[in-house]
Amino acid sequence: MAAAQQATVDTGKVKDLLAAHRAEMKRYLSHCMHCTLCAESCFLFMARDKDPRYMPSYKVLNSLGVLYRRRGRVERSFLEKIKKIVWRNCVLCRRCYCPVGVDIPRMIALARAVCRSQGVYPDFDEQGHQESWL
Amino acid sequence: MIIAHRKPLEEIVEMLGQLNPVLVLGCGGCTSICLAGGQREAEQLAADLREDYGNRGGQLEVNTYTIERQCNADFFADIDRLAGDYQAIVSTACGAGVQFVAERYPRLPVLPALNTDFVGFDKDVGWYEENCRTCGDCVLGETGGICPVTRCAKSLFNGPCGGTRADGTCEVDPDIPCAWFEIHKRLREQGRLELITRVRPAREWQNQIRRTVIQEPYRERYGK
Repeated sequence: MAAAQQATVDTGKVKDLLAAHRAEMKRYLSHCMHCTLCAESCFLFMARDKDPRYMPSYKVLNSLGVLYRRRGRVERSFLEKIKKIVWRNCVLCRRCYCPVGVDIPRMIALARAVCRSQGVYPDFDEQGHQESWL
Repeated sequence: MIIAHRKPLEEIVEMLGQLNPVLVLGCGGCTSICLAGGQREAEQLAADLREDYGNRGGQLEVNTYTIERQCNADFFADIDRLAGDYQAIVSTACGAGVQFVAERYPRLPVLPALNTDFVGFDKDVGWYEENCRTCGDCVLGETGGICPVTRCAKSLFNGPCGGTRADGTCEVDPDIPCAWFEIHKRLREQGRLELITRVRPAREWQNQIRRTVIQEPYRERYGK
């Protein structure tokens, strides 16, 4: 993974992944009304004193939302940044609730897939144990 | 967490036989955390397979893809598109994940790359210990939080047997503490030693069938 960390982002691969899910994801992103009703369905949000960074809507808008807004043209540092959002701040328990039917876990999973396609994913070895994933 | 370890490469190669090309499917769940079947381990397995085939004058076309969980249909959208390009999938998930993939792609051989060991906890990085046999009849509330099914060599519900050594270890292996000796110590510390005299009905171990859990509020939805 060290080599992957130094490599530049394969934008074509990122764009392909985003394009494969574009219709569904664009629909979800446009349907989010920022109502915040998803917030209290997230146990991490509740366990972190309702820190808004743990709101499911915040997590998707600031990861996958930005990926689509930038049309996949992102730096590796951005993927490293959203790694914390889509792994450490979300365990993909699939319990988040959206009143208009936005499938938040699928969006988080796609953001993770984009990261994985560039070799950005959590370590669970010595290095990984130094930072908490929960 | 489910703990697993990789099978010997020769066993995986033997299962593959002439199947080619192959997708090594990593799992981002438990086997990722126990360092057996995540993205890094899936890529390592693919590299090992390529090298092994190359050393024998052959060539294996092998790609990898890692999804977040192989035991949940919600994460398979990308694999649904890819699966048709391969003659086999080598899964680095636990046994449940492998069966889930096999059920989803019934015409495709789905091969396990791991041996699934147990449900346990992390003692340290890369060190895991078994703590639960998922027997479905938990007695931890009466045994001081020590599982006799897992940690007693005979899985006794009403122990100890007569084989506890003088130093409190098990007659089966002197390196293993007797579970019931430990339970006795723990209950005494908690002032709840009377619990050890409670007789628990014998467990029916034979003729076990596949278990399904549907939580009470969901029974109506699934007609169960």
